[in-house]
Formats: sequence, structure tokens, C-alpha cells
Amino acid sequence: MRSNHKNTLLKVVILGDGGVGKSCLMNRFVSNQFDEHSFHTIGVEFLNKDIDINGDTYTLQIWDTAGQERFKTLRTPFYRGSDICMLTYAINDKSSFKNLQMWKNEFLYYADIKENNQFPFIVIGNKSDITSEREVSQLELETWCNENGITSSIETSAKNASNVQEAFILAVEHWLRIEKRADKNETVYNDTVDLTKKQGEKSSCCIGSSDEN
Amino acid sequence: MYELLRGLEMHRITEKEKCDKCFLQRSNALRRRKKAFVRSGSVKRINSVRKNPKKHQEKTKKNILVKEKNEDFRYIQLETKKQKQHKNPLIIPNKSKYATIPWILRWKFRRVHPTCDIRIQQVDGGFFEKFGSLFREQVELTETKEKLEKEKCAKLAAEVIPSKLDYEQEENEILPTVESDSENEGSMVSSDSDLEENKDKNDLIFTALNIEELYAEILYEILHNVGCDVSYEIGQTTLFSYAQDAFKISNDKHNHLLDMAERKEPPELLLNVEIIEAKDLRSKDSNGMSDPFVTLYLNSNNTHRYNTSVKQTTLNPTWEEHFALPIADQNSEDMLILEVWDFDPAETVKEKFGKLFEVKGVKGMRKLVKEIALTATNGQHENELIGIAKIPLKTVPASGMTMWYSLDKKNKVSRQGVLKVRVSFSSEKNNQVAEQELRHMLRIILLHELETSKVAPYWWCGMFSPQANCLLTQHIAQSGLTPTEVSVCQYCVFALIHQSHALSFALFSKLLAGIVKPLQNNQICEDDVKLFWNATKKLLPSCFSIIRKIRKKTSNEKATMKQVTEVLKILNYILQLDLPPNTDLFPLNIYKWKTYTGDGPNCDIFGTINDAVVQGASDWMNYILENNNSRDESDVGRLTYYIQLIQLIKTDIQKSIEYYDKLFQETVNFQYAKSLYIFYQAKVSTLCEPEVTNICKNLKRLTFNGKTSTLMTTEDSKEPLSAGTSLFELYLAVQRFVVLGTGLCPADCDNFHIKNFHQWFHGGVAQWLDIAVYKALQRIEKAVELDKLTQVDNTVKYSSSAVDTLSIFYQVKVFWQQLNWPDVESSYTFIAKIIDDICRCSVFYADQMSAKVDGMGDHENVYEKKFEVTNEWCLAINNIDYVRETLEPFTQDLGMTDIIAKITDLKSPVDAQRCQHTLDNVIANAIDTVRNKIIELLEIVVNKMAPSMKRLLIEGAELCNQDSNSIDRLMMYVDNNLSTLHRELNEENFNRTLSIVWEMLGATLEEIIQCNLDKRRPPSFFDNLHKTLNLMLGSFKSPNDCSNCDALSRTERLLKINGLETNDLIHEVHLEMARNFAKEKESSYGEISVKVKFEGSAIKVEVMNARNLIAMDSNGSCDSFVRIHVLPEHKFSAIDKPKTKTHNKTQFPLYDEAFVINITHEQKAIKDGLILFSVKDKDLLGYNNQYIGEAFLPFSEIPETNKPLSSLPQVHLQLGRPTSLSSDCIRALEHRQGDKLAKEFLKKYKQRMGS
Repeated sequence: MRSNHKNTLLKVVILGDGGVGKSCLMNRFVSNQFDEHSFHTIGVEFLNKDIDINGDTYTLQIWDTAGQERFKTLRTPFYRGSDICMLTYAINDKSSFKNLQMWKNEFLYYADIKENNQFPFIVIGNKSDITSEREVSQLELETWCNENGITSSIETSAKNASNVQEAFILAVEHWLRIEKRADKNETVYNDTVDLTKKQGEKSSCCIGSSDEN
Repeated sequence: MYELLRGLEMHRITEKEKCDKCFLQRSNALRRRKKAFVRSGSVKRINSVRKNPKKHQEKTKKNILVKEKNEDFRYIQLETKKQKQHKNPLIIPNKSKYATIPWILRWKFRRVHPTCDIRIQQVDGGFFEKFGSLFREQVELTETKEKLEKEKCAKLAAEVIPSKLDYEQEENEILPTVESDSENEGSMVSSDSDLEENKDKNDLIFTALNIEELYAEILYEILHNVGCDVSYEIGQTTLFSYAQDAFKISNDKHNHLLDMAERKEPPELLLNVEIIEAKDLRSKDSNGMSDPFVTLYLNSNNTHRYNTSVKQTTLNPTWEEHFALPIADQNSEDMLILEVWDFDPAETVKEKFGKLFEVKGVKGMRKLVKEIALTATNGQHENELIGIAKIPLKTVPASGMTMWYSLDKKNKVSRQGVLKVRVSFSSEKNNQVAEQELRHMLRIILLHELETSKVAPYWWCGMFSPQANCLLTQHIAQSGLTPTEVSVCQYCVFALIHQSHALSFALFSKLLAGIVKPLQNNQICEDDVKLFWNATKKLLPSCFSIIRKIRKKTSNEKATMKQVTEVLKILNYILQLDLPPNTDLFPLNIYKWKTYTGDGPNCDIFGTINDAVVQGASDWMNYILENNNSRDESDVGRLTYYIQLIQLIKTDIQKSIEYYDKLFQETVNFQYAKSLYIFYQAKVSTLCEPEVTNICKNLKRLTFNGKTSTLMTTEDSKEPLSAGTSLFELYLAVQRFVVLGTGLCPADCDNFHIKNFHQWFHGGVAQWLDIAVYKALQRIEKAVELDKLTQVDNTVKYSSSAVDTLSIFYQVKVFWQQLNWPDVESSYTFIAKIIDDICRCSVFYADQMSAKVDGMGDHENVYEKKFEVTNEWCLAINNIDYVRETLEPFTQDLGMTDIIAKITDLKSPVDAQRCQHTLDNVIANAIDTVRNKIIELLEIVVNKMAPSMKRLLIEGAELCNQDSNSIDRLMMYVDNNLSTLHRELNEENFNRTLSIVWEMLGATLEEIIQCNLDKRRPPSFFDNLHKTLNLMLGSFKSPNDCSNCDALSRTERLLKINGLETNDLIHEVHLEMARNFAKEKESSYGEISVKVKFEGSAIKVEVMNARNLIAMDSNGSCDSFVRIHVLPEHKFSAIDKPKTKTHNKTQFPLYDEAFVINITHEQKAIKDGLILFSVKDKDLLGYNNQYIGEAFLPFSEIPETNKPLSSLPQVHLQLGRPTSLSSDCIRALEHRQGDKLAKEFLKKYKQRMGS
């Protein structure tokens, strides 16, 4: 499935109210498909996707969660160990935007994260294709992000495939920035990857089957 | 080369013992090269090696199979082995906990679950064992226990003498003080009924009859006993004294009353006779029949005769007619005479003749003839006697009798038939008075009897003493009461007495059996009916009390059963009756526990039964709750308390099923167990739900970061889940409780609140999984730390930590299987979580493992730093791989398939597909990640080998001419390491290793080349490297390895090129050019046409023409000629290089010149020979001829023929120019700065490229 074992593995969790398009976002990103009539997610869904940033490949392990309240106990166990958290709302749904705070708190609580300003959150305003029904302005988004110390936000449309790739790239870049900062501050042993250790492309070797006589 | 190989082979032979498992490939290669050196012995060995890997593989496969087949077994095996290894003392599982379990079970338990290595489990206090196998063991134990109990119950129910000792013991433990409760109960009932009784007593007082009168009456009856059965056995005196005792009459009074009774006239007794039927009467008429009737009279008074009706033409008449015959003197030897007659109606002779046709047989004819003769002679007719029966009155008992009597006829021996008669005595008393007297008598006598004999409650079942019996029978007989009347009287009196002194319920049910029918048929007078219902009202509370107190401990289970049976029979009889209007059968003041609904009189027996059952259960439960209240207020204490409670309830239901359910259903059609269950499930739900939800919510969240599990100490981690085991034990208890309900009431179980019990535990499970990961990581760390990196045993190639890690997984799996989580959606999510967690643990394990072996195998001394592949490394890799291999079967065992199928049913196939997809992804991801970890580790190993190899390679290349053995050492080094890897690793990982080795080798060599080109190493340096590489490839590379290593093949080519002498290198350039030109379809430089052939040892060439030559001169044309070279130049050094004439100013010159180039046969045989046609533009001065273009013709394309050139086809060759300065060959030449030849060639080469 994953071509290169030297890729960095990143666990991404997508959170947000039911119906804001989390699964669509993931499906658009991973398989470039969009299903207008997709169902509610049951519990969680999981997909893998490689992404290239600045010549390095990252394998994103994306956990898409069910937004409905009744799934709460089912999704929260998956938060722990996440590298990136995508907080999602729909721009035509004010309440989903208001719930971002709740989602952030829920994530911080269950993922067991101490310094939340160190964690790469990214806020995604989905359904940017239906601007006519917009209820959340870009300004509101920025304000909220500023208040919460979140630096990455983007408006996407899973339907139009606009900004979807970019959103994930943005997320990984954000992660990279924080990671670099952490590396500088303290030389923490990182058990997921060692980027510096080896480069050079993977090639399972061996010359044909010619025998020299 | 020869020397080298020879040396190698020698070394090989001497080293043979050491590297027994050298490689097939290498050996093959060597054998092919140096057959002479290979002895037959070594061939054999090689063959055996060839077989070995397969064998090894099969073995491993087998191991895996066995392992998968029986995990428990594997577990045992592994654990026991480890025990041996570590020689640790056994942990005996918490003795006190299992103290009550029979020793066999305990022993079994220990064997099934041999204590694991104490050290690992101690890390977390046996966390996983608690939830996994111990958990299961406990469940199994409970089940066995239940089963045993069930069997016991069944035994008891089957009325085999039960082994009650242990049963009771057990019960006593649970319900230590139930006994005391029963007394309480007794008083309660009596207080309930006090009111009623008092009223009855008053009743008694106000009845006209006083005791003395009754007593006198009894004395009178004793004096005038009737029937055969009394006076002989029990003397009058005995009866008198008994009566005096019973009625508590003083002697004076007695004598006075006796005197009075004696003075009274003897009673007018009647003999009641019922002529019921006769059978097999002798025929008296000509038609073979008789027309029988019976005449009866007393012997003393034979004039007073009674006749029955005549039954016509029958030999088996039924009369059922009653007669009362006054008896004059009771003491006489009087007899009742019964005569059966054939009625003969008055008929004339003529009428008799008319019967002729009805005559049957000869006998009948004779009779008719006789009759006719008789009638004809005396003109009159006569009834004919069939037979007589005589009954002496003294044979008739006081209670009467029903008997068949055979009929006799004087001087006839043969049987005349039999007659059935009922005979009894009676007097002409008022029925009402007699009944009343009887009731009082019964009451007084019974109370007296109970007082004197001290019968236990519920035991008296109608057995009076002979005296009492005699008195009562006499009264009944002398009053002429019917059995039904007597029954009603008894029923009423007994019911009354029952209130103060409980009597056997069998007594009532027996009486009811006799009363129900007459009641239904309205054969009982209104007053009696009223009395009956009043009595019933008094009786019922105690009946329901029995049902309510069904759990009351008695010394005799069988008796309890019997009691309940009788009670139910009573209820059933009453159910069959229509309650008279305006009767309140269940007054509220008595039935306080009854859930009364509605306004009307509450007479729903069924509902009352239900209420009684539920109330009984409720009382019992409250009692338990009050008396067993948990002293331990901790979570664990409370949970244990609930587990026990559910256990008790389950036992109760179980018992109710075994004992009573069938009874209730069969007798009153009431579903006892179901009714109980409905009550209990609600109760359990309300009790447990808030508690469990609360505990789950308060389970301490674990604060940890997966990456730094080392920082956590064991102390702070113990607490959060201390309640966990109990929590899940409770879960299982409730689960089994629910299963019980599903079996008990399949129709209703969906509506039970308890059905969704798992939701209470939801948070707990999620939390558990979360904590389990942390615990697992911690334990893995410890396991790796303790791993000595030695094989667990000889048959497997992994070490203890792998086993430990897998046992963690196994425990998680067992835990999950035990949960048997009913909800599909959450099951799916939990499985995803478990798989993800397992993946995380596996990766963590891989990291820990590689960290552990890092640094192993490094040797350093003053001369060198060396790395040797060690068994530890291989074990580490195998361990990880072993863990990886189990991932997939593990996930299958979690029951995914089942869950997906359920989602398909519950949701939609699309949803199911998505879930399946997610699970597949998670699994694939897990396996992939671990596999990558293995590759990473393999790379580390190989990279550790690289420096040594590099050094040896360089040494070898530099020093080989000085007879160095560094190549040998290199081969040995690689051989040793690869041997170890091959021996220890499985095929897949070994092949992976080989791939990485080649990759590394390619990279290393390239590095060496680059580095040494700059150092201007001689071609021989590279040639040596090239030879070494080929040797290695030939030796170690497996022929079936089809993966291509680009780096290696490129490196090989580089080595080859750089290893060439300059001449050869130049030719290589030309060959390359020839290949490139041949690919060109069209050329901008033009085209030349030639004819070439070999003839003998000569090359014959005809240069025909050229076309479209590129303009070289300023005039737009060119002055071209063609020179012919034969290449490689150094091999054709003595050969002419002929050229054509120059054709001026044309781009289409016609040369038409033929040349013969004489070469030797050896030269002709040069395989890669080339003919180069070099087309040049003649410079005016002739010094600086410019290249227009070149064309190559390889020897291989030149035909060998005797035909003249003219007959051959023209060969058109596109002209080309060298284009690249960056090819490997050119670069190699450029590196040979000191080489004149190379320098010159390059200079020319650049000219040939043109401007």
C-alpha cells in the first residue's frame, strides 16, 4: 500500500459536526471522488494517502470521525496519538462553526495534549461552493483562529475539489513548522521517523539472472 | 583469475566444516567454474543444503498452523517452556478467591492457565491476564458452578433424594437469616386473619346450639352406634372418655348428660338402600332376555316390601333407585333381602304365539312352549324369580358401603347374576342442623386432636384418631349427610382452623376435588355455597403466602414442592369456579401487597398470583439488599456486590425454572419464571445502570504520551482500572442474565430495559481500550528488556519477547471475545480501534527490538572496527516478523466478518462496504508499517556491514597483485554474515536482506569508483573490483531473484569500463557510436551507400555514393572523400586505411570505388570488429580535413560470400557524428590524463563532433 517505508507517517484526525462534509473532504483528497448522497459515517473511517511536500513524501493516516453525538464514545479513543487535527465546519452552518470550540476541547481532552498551542490544528471551512448561503464570514474565521492561537485555516469545497489538496498540504506544513521548532528547542527523540538518517530512493535491487558463464 | 579462484576454493574446502550451510548459488557458480575442485562429497552437501531451506520453511509453516489451530495450547506450551527457562516459582492464582471451588476445578484451572512468567505480568499486575484468560476462566468457573447447581436442581426436581448438604450450605451463606423471617411471616398472616376469626367465633357463640347440647347429642349417638365397624373395635367407654376430653366436659356434667342421653328414646334409624344395577342376569323369557325388577325387604318385617321399576328385555339393568327402610331393632340379627324377579305381563295364549318369531334357540322355544302350555292350562301368569341376595345388617359399616352381591336361587348351583347395591344408615334429622352440628364437632374435635398430637404446621392432612373418626362417622351416618355436604363442612371448618393452625394444603385440594363438580352443577344449597366462599376467602391468603414465601428455607425441599403443588391445585380448582356476584375475594386490608387496579370487586386470581410472585421476589430481594449490604463502599466493593446480587438472582430464576415453572404452567397456566424475570430485569436495570454509568464515567483517564511510556511508573497506573475487572465481570454477569431472559421469554425480551445493558458499559470499554494500549506498551518494553534473545525452544526462531507480545495481543483478543459486544456499530469501531492499537504496539515493539540489538555485533580492536551479524540480530528481526505474521489472523479472530455481515443487514451494503474498507485499510496499514520496520532493521544490519565490505573491497583492488587475501576475507565476511542471516531468517526476509545488500554494494562501489577515479587508479584497480563483484554476484545472488537493481548494474558497467585498457575503451566508444547511429532513421549529415563482403581473409568494399551530404564549404557544397578504417585500431594496426578520391563541389558524389583489405583469419574472427566509413571534406590545403560524418558497419552484418560485389545489394548507412562528451566511456578516458593514447583520441573525438 505504501510504496516507501521511509515516508513520514502522520496521523490526521478530522473533526467537526455531523454533515459538514468530513468524509467528503477525505474522499476527495484520497480518491478524488465526491458523493453527493453519502451516508453518515459509522463510528470512524480510515484511509491512507501519500503527499509530497518540498520533495519529501508524507504518508497521512487519516481518521475520519462521525460527528453525531451518539458516536462520541466511539470516536474519542481515536484521538490519542494524532499528529494533526482538522477542525471542520460548513460555511453555510453557523452552529457548526460555533461548535469548533467544543471540538477543539474534546480533542485536547481525549488526545491528552498538554500545550495546545504546540499542536497543529487547522480549521477548515467546507462547502465554499455555496457562498450564497454563507453564514460564516472569512473575518469571523480569522477572528476565531486568532483567539484560539490557530494559525492555519482555509476554506474548501469537497464538491468542487477546491483547496482540498491545499488544506492537507497546509496542515502538514504547519506540522513541519511546529516539529522543527520542537527539534530546535529540545532534541526530543522522535520515534516515528528519522528524516535525516537516510536519503536516496528506494530500489529493491538485483541484476537480472545472468550467470557469468 | 585462476589463482584467485583456486585460492578461494581451497579456502572453501578448509572452511567447509564451518560454513556448512554455504550457499547453493555460490557453490554452484564455483562448481561450474572449477569442477575439478569440487569433490563428490561437497556436491552431496550442496544438495542437502538445497533441500534444507524448504524443510525449514515447512517447519515454520507447521508451527504456525499448530499455533493457529489451538491458541490455548500454544499458550500453555510457550508458557511452560518459559517457566522452565526462568525457573520462576508458580503464581498460585489468588487462593482465597477460589476457595469455594472444588479442588478439581482449581487444579484444572491452574493447568489450563499455567502461570506466566512472573516478571512480565508484574509490570502491570497481570492487567491483561485479568481481562483475558483469567476473566474467561472465571466465567467458565461460574458456568460450571451454575451447571452443577442446575444439575442439583434437576435432581431435586426429579424427586431423587437430593444431596442437600452442600446445596444448603451454599444457600445459607447467601441467605443467612431467612429462617428468622419465616416466623415473622407466620405472625403476619395470623394478624391478617384475626379479624375474620373473631367474627367466626362470635358466630359460633350466637348459634342456638350450645356445646352441652352438642355433647349430649354425641353421647346419644355413641349409645346408639350403628354399623358393623364400631363397637367391636372401640368400646363405648373409650369413646365417652375421648368425647369428654375433646369437649372438656367435667365428670359430673358428663354423667348427667349421659344419663339424659340414655333416657332418650333410641333414634328412628333408616336403612338407606340404593339399588344401582345388575349384571349377567339369567334369562327367563323365550326371547333370551328378562324383564328384571327388584323386591327388597327386611327379614324382620317381610310384609313391608319395596319394588323397583321393571327394566324391559335386558340382562344388565340399571336402576339407581333409592329406598329408606326403617330399622326396628338395631341390635338384631336382621337382614336385608334383595330379590330379583323377571316380570311376566299378563298375556293370552294367542299373544304368546305371537312371540314365536322372537324366540331364540332351542331353549327359548322350549320355554315358550312351556309358557303357552301353562297359560293354556291355568289361564294365569306368574313372575319368575331370578335370584336372591341377603345382607346381614351387622356387616354394614356406619359410613355405609357399596357392594356387588351375587344372586342365588334355591337348588340352583349356577350363577344367577350379580347386583350392585349401596347400603347406609341415616336418621331422620334436619340436614341444616346436622351440618351445623358436624361443623362444630369437627372444629372441636380437630382442635382437640391438634392440641393433643402436636402436629406441625402444614402437616395435618385429615387423619383423625380412631375415636374421633368413629364419633364423626357416627354423626354423619346417624344424621344421613351426603358426602358432598360432609366435604363442604370439612372444607369450611378446616379453612377456619387453618388460619390459626396451618393444615396441609393437600387436605384442601382433596376436598375441593370433591366439591368443585357439585358446585359447578349447582347441587349445593345456597347457604353452603356462601359458606364455601367464605372459607375460600380465609384459605387463599395462606395460599398466596406460600407462593410469596416460596424461597423460604425449609428442611425439606420436597415437602415445599409438594406444598406448592397443592396450593396451585387449590388455586386451579377455584379458578374453575364462577365467583358469585358481589364477592370480594381479595379484601385490600389483607392483600396489601396486591397491585389493585379498577373499581370493581377484585377477584382476579391470575393477577393475584402474579402479584404474589412478584411480591415474593421483591421481598426476597429487599431482604438480600438489606442484609447483604456492601460494607465496602469502593467501586470494586459495590461492583462485586452487584455481581453477587445478579448471581443470586440468576440462581433464583434458575431454581424457579427447575422447580416451579413447570408446576405453575401445568397447574394454573401461569408463566412463573417469566414473570419473575420481568420483575428482576427491571430491578437489576434500575440498580445497576446508574452505578455502572457512573463508574464508567469516573474511570480515571490515563494521562500518558505513547512515546514516553518509560516515564510512567507502575504505581500511578494501577489505580484507574482497579475497578475494571469487576466492572467487566459485572458486564458478563448481566450479559448472562440477559441471555437467560432471551431463552425464557423470546417474545418479550426485546422490550426489556436490560437488553441495552451494554450501553451502560460503553464508556468503560472505550476507556479500557485506551488504557490497554498504554499497558501493552509498558509491558512490551519490559518484555524486550528481559528478553535474552535466545530462542524460546529449538523448533522456533523467535525469543521470549515475541511470545510475550503475542500473549498480550491474545489477551486483548480474549477480552474482546468475552465481551461479545452486542451492538454492531460500536463493535465495528472498537475493532478498528483494537487493530490500530495492536499496530501501534507492533511498531513500538519493532522499535524497542531494534534499539535493543543496536550495538550488538560491533567489534572493535586496535586494527579495525568490524560488525558481525549475530543471532541476536536475526532473532530480533524474526521476532518482529513473527508478530507481524500474527496480525492478520489476529484481526480475523476479532470477528470482523460477522460484524460486517451484520452491518449489511442493519444498515446497507454500502455502509458495510465502507466499514470493511476501513478495517481492511487499518489492517493493511498495520501490517505495512510493521513490515517497513523490518526493512528498516534489515537496512541497519546491511549498512553496518558496509564499512567492512568497503574496506575489504578497496584493499582487495589495490593489493590483489601482491597476493593479498583480502578478497578471500571479503568473501568470508559476506559468507559468514549471509550464512547467519540465511540460517536464522525466513526466506522472505532473507531475500529482502539480499536486495538491500546489493543495493548497498552498488552504492558502495559507486562511491569507491568516484573516489578512486580522482586518484587516477590504473584500470587494473577497477578491473579487480569488477572481477570481485562478478564473483560475489555469481556466488551469492539467487538466480530466481528477478528484481532488478539498477544501481548495481550501472556500477557494474562503470567498473567494466574503467577496468578496460585504453585501446579497448576507445573501441567501446566506437561500438557505442555504432549502436547509436544504427538507431538513427534520418541524418542531417547525409547518407552513404556501400557494398561490403568477406571473401577468404579479405574484406572487399565498394563505396558507391553519398547523398545529401551536409554543405561544409562556404559555397554551399562540399568536396568529399571517404576513408575506410577497420576497428579496433590496435588489433588492425598493420592494415591499410584506404580512401576514395575527392569529389569536388557536390553533395551527391558518386565514388564507385572498390577496395580489398587483406586481414588475417584471426582478425576476421574478432567479434566486435567494425568498419568505419569516415566521410570528410577535403580542405584546400589538405591539412585540416573536416569531418562530414561517419558510418559504422559491424563485422556481424557483413556477408561471407564468393559472389561478386556487384550482385550484392547496396547497404545505405546514415552518417552521424559523435554527440556526447558525458558518456561513461568518454569520462573514463578523460580520467586517464596521463595516457597519451586517450588524450589523442579525445582530441580527435572532439574534432569528429564537429563545430
